[in-house]
Amino acid sequence: MKHFNLPVSPATVHWGYFSKKVQPAVTLRSGDRATIETLTHHANDDYERMIANDPGAESVFHWTREHKAVARRGSGPTEGPFIRGSGEGIGVHLLTGPVAIENAEPGDVLEVRILDIRPRPSCSACHAGRCFGSNAAANWGFHYHDLIEEPKPREVITIFELDTSGEPFARAVYNYVWTPQTDPDGIVHATIDYPGVRVDHGTIKKRENILTGVKVPARLHFGTMGLAPSEADFVSSIPPSYTGGNIDDWRIGKGARMYYPVAVPGAFFSVGDPHAAQGDSELGGTAIETSLTGDFEFILHKKNDLGGTSLEGLTHPMLETEQAWSVYGFTYPNYLAELGANAQTEIASHSSLDRAMRDAFRKLRRFLMTVHRLSEDEAISLMSVGADFGVTQVVDANWGVHGTIRKNVFRCD
Amino acid sequence: MSGTRVASISPDWGDAMNFRPFTSESYTQDDRPEAWRDVLGTVGLQPASAGTSYDGHATALHRSAPGIALTRIAAGSQTVAPLPQGADGLPIAVLPIDDGVILRHGGSHRIVPVGHLLLLPRCGDCSVVFQRDMRAIVLSVTPDALHGRIPGKLRFGEARVVAPGGLADIFSRMLDATARTLEMLGDVEWATVAQAMADLLLTIAHQLADTAPDGRHTASQAAILHRICQAIERRLEDPDLAPAAVAQAEGISERYLQKLFEGVGDNFTHYVRERRLQRAWADLSNPAQAHRSISEIAYRYGFADSAHFSRTFRHRFGLPPREFRQQEAERAAPASMPAGQRGWPQDALAQLRVHQPAATAKRAALVSRTDAADDADHVAPTHHHIAVEASRVHWGYFSRTLSPQAEIGSGDTITIETLTQHASDDPDRMISGDSGAESVFGWTGARKNVDRRGAGPMDASVFGRGAGEGFGVHICTGPIAIRDAQPGDVLEVRILDIVPRPSRNPQFEGRVFGSSVAAWWGYHYNEFLAGPKPREVVTIYEILAGTDRDDDAAPHARALYSYRWEPQTDPFGVVHATYDYPGVPVAPGSVKRRHAVLDGIRIPLRPHFGVIAVAPREVDLVDSVPPSYFGGNLDNWRLGKGSTVYLPVSVPGALLSVGDPHAVQGDGELSGTAIECSMTGTFQVILHKKGSHTGQPYADLSYPLIETETDWVLTGFSHPNYLAEFGAQGQSEVYATSSLDLAMKDAFRKMRRFLMSVKGLSEDEAIALMSAAVDFGVTQVVDGNWGVHAILSKRLFD
Repeated sequence: MKHFNLPVSPATVHWGYFSKKVQPAVTLRSGDRATIETLTHHANDDYERMIANDPGAESVFHWTREHKAVARRGSGPTEGPFIRGSGEGIGVHLLTGPVAIENAEPGDVLEVRILDIRPRPSCSACHAGRCFGSNAAANWGFHYHDLIEEPKPREVITIFELDTSGEPFARAVYNYVWTPQTDPDGIVHATIDYPGVRVDHGTIKKRENILTGVKVPARLHFGTMGLAPSEADFVSSIPPSYTGGNIDDWRIGKGARMYYPVAVPGAFFSVGDPHAAQGDSELGGTAIETSLTGDFEFILHKKNDLGGTSLEGLTHPMLETEQAWSVYGFTYPNYLAELGANAQTEIASHSSLDRAMRDAFRKLRRFLMTVHRLSEDEAISLMSVGADFGVTQVVDANWGVHGTIRKNVFRCD
Repeated sequence: MSGTRVASISPDWGDAMNFRPFTSESYTQDDRPEAWRDVLGTVGLQPASAGTSYDGHATALHRSAPGIALTRIAAGSQTVAPLPQGADGLPIAVLPIDDGVILRHGGSHRIVPVGHLLLLPRCGDCSVVFQRDMRAIVLSVTPDALHGRIPGKLRFGEARVVAPGGLADIFSRMLDATARTLEMLGDVEWATVAQAMADLLLTIAHQLADTAPDGRHTASQAAILHRICQAIERRLEDPDLAPAAVAQAEGISERYLQKLFEGVGDNFTHYVRERRLQRAWADLSNPAQAHRSISEIAYRYGFADSAHFSRTFRHRFGLPPREFRQQEAERAAPASMPAGQRGWPQDALAQLRVHQPAATAKRAALVSRTDAADDADHVAPTHHHIAVEASRVHWGYFSRTLSPQAEIGSGDTITIETLTQHASDDPDRMISGDSGAESVFGWTGARKNVDRRGAGPMDASVFGRGAGEGFGVHICTGPIAIRDAQPGDVLEVRILDIVPRPSRNPQFEGRVFGSSVAAWWGYHYNEFLAGPKPREVVTIYEILAGTDRDDDAAPHARALYSYRWEPQTDPFGVVHATYDYPGVPVAPGSVKRRHAVLDGIRIPLRPHFGVIAVAPREVDLVDSVPPSYFGGNLDNWRLGKGSTVYLPVSVPGALLSVGDPHAVQGDGELSGTAIECSMTGTFQVILHKKGSHTGQPYADLSYPLIETETDWVLTGFSHPNYLAEFGAQGQSEVYATSSLDLAMKDAFRKMRRFLMSVKGLSEDEAIALMSAAVDFGVTQVVDGNWGVHAILSKRLFD
């Protein structure tokens, strides 16, 4: 077993997409471990607190008229003229990786264990050692066309501080309404439409004393973890799909084991979109987005060894925690295959919980029948009385419903 | 990928912003009048008198284009008038749906039947009275929409009523069709349709402006005959209706009356009989009248003798009324009842709100209190007990007209025995020897102790399943009246304890059993993997207490055996090919029991009551299946021991009922049922009078609010108040249009309101907090009105 370190730098991140074409940041073997730094793509909502004097973050977010350290952000075109910028922001998450796994082949399953998660403290002189995050109630939020207060519509950034002195929790520091921001290349971003644009705090009005007395219990987790899909070379990081990605389930935290079907040789695992806390549904469009560092262990399950294990027949991401198994249903289980050439943009206009529920039901039924050898009738009865379905997210284009079955159901004398 | 427009992270919503949904659920009670004024204002209307803006439940779908605004409104009774905007511009088109309206103009009143189109001038003193509910499509077109074309000198000083027909009919249908698909239309489609509506309205307005108002007809014979026919129409229920009486009432001689009929080739007797049969025919084919028995309908049209009616009807229409009604129900069924739809047939239930109390639900004086409490206002809390038996339950429906089983005071505690309607799946284990259960389920060829099961007609003339038709299935114990409870109050129901009801059959003495049915209304039913497809499966579970020696063995359920449903013949001889009527005893020999099911699987318990309800205000008989603002079939397992539900009181006395006991259920209740297990609950009931709610979590409550030790759980539904939203169609429509997406929206709006009004947050704070800390989950996808709940941890505010 080897332990690798993967710090963030322009060379170790890719921004806004999964890709089988990106040079791996590191290659390791089944059983190896790695410490991986991740950055939130919302750090520029408060540059001072979340980027300044942090060499890793500064190197990745560096963007001047002369030099943009990570030019491509999203799976969109990289040749101008641009509407928003290179990659066009079709996909937004800063992902560290890919981590290639030796000997991984399509049909295998990659198990990723999260051994630990730690927040990334601020390096700025004023805030050193404290940890901050940003929540954007954004234009892709569930609420955006259903606002009751003026001005309508509006996007709002809320900056949170994470307190880890005791039982960790987050509290709001201030918020502001998004104002048009001009990036170093001169493109004006009237809404939050391209990641990593530094917000000029001279243009916004900070409102303090918000959410006073409210403590949000921390749920450190990675919103986006997954493998490169085989269908396209560059795939938007926003819609989750059969190889994982932006699942946005807060249960994918310390102690969790995620299983992903391998779609391309080497698996190509990437991780990012770190969250300090999120509710089921991620209603406003984002969680409390906070840079985090994780310790991971990778175990490759070869295709021929899956029979008779919990991974038999797995064609979708699955979570195992100490207490439960969860499967992830999506509006489209594999939107890339189902929606054809324009899938990455089409998916946003098909979002529906009803289809996601249907998918979660089918996946859980399959799990119970294949892995636990139940008959269909048994599986359906058990799902009605012993499984819980919840709303994972309604903001990632391919909406999610998770189906969870507690492990203690199966522990019988 | 081409370098063209992209729409991934921020889909270009700019143009779609012209679509706006509105629901009063987003607003606190105080803010509703102003919000509603805005809704009316977008289509050029306003509340008819200042300061009387409507503040009840309302929904509206609105879409606009330059100069054109279309809104489909569903709200309560109110009067609206045009916003004064000068004499220019096209009149406002108002199309009432479901019910007629009254057009007031100066001092005069005019009744406008449903389907007629109203055109209101933008000045003048007319107003429109929606007597029951405001259900209408409104189109407002201002000169901006005409793109510089001159609308001509429209002299439109008076409101006009346009009967269906010709261009007006095309226009009305277009309004209706557009309003139904408002959300789905693409921007280009909408722009085209909006312009077409504007053009049609312009043409119609011109036609009417050119025509003089209806001139006064001379008192021709036709007019008198018309008046006489209307008089007859009003008195069809009078079995002794005679020509002399009608003639006298109209001030003419009987001879002249007969002559008038002869003039049109008819005679009085024949005409009256024909009208009676036609009206009865219409009622029998109208699912909206399905709650009435055939003899009720016959009586209504002057046929005192139902055998005579039956003969006459068959003579006229070739089919006896009963067969005719069933044929009509079946004809309506395939198109309108997707598999898995429970409850009333589609298009059913118009005017349910006006129907008479059912025969079994006579309003009666309060029964005497179970304890000898005195009448003083401040008495010490007392304890009451409602044992379950046939006379103490209502099966499958809620009703504001039921007489209470007990009256209790605020602060009192009450123990309520409840039975699962699934006990009949294994009568040996769950009914035999239990006198309460035997009384409720008692059903022989000669006698059925609880006849009505469901909100359907007593003569089962819709599907023939049985009295009540199984439109609603839960055995509810109660109702219990709460002293002094009035609409606007909030009832707090604390669940102090829940204990299972053990078998009283000596063979199984003391053991506890439950049943779970993967039924035809389950979420899985349309997509079985393997045959036979489809099928219904009953699984009988035993509920086991934990044992000390195994620390893992908390109380849990284990499957005993299962069987596939086979057609069951009930004691009255009706065959139930599917699980379509509750309480049909399953004869052990009629099914094949399969043992060793769910081997090695143990389900930790979550005892709770699926149904806790107060009586709804809208109609008399309400199907117990779809949950709504009054509570009902919430099917949320968090309603267990130690938790509390707050319910808005809608009728005097509140009328609390409890039933549908569950040993355990998962979020989703996927197969259609939980482990249904008879249980007894002990509750404390606290009445919070209107006006004392300020600052309380239940302030401004318009939905069932659950409080557990650790959380607030808000209940979102596809249709938060389906009875008000769909009006007459509610009890059918709610089954057809449920969606998790709608339920999620409702849960979001309720949580936003809770955080803003109860926790004092701004909208921006509320949304940030919901994103970071509120958990939304699937409550159920099987109860007609699907549920999503939002959970707010109390820890956030410590």
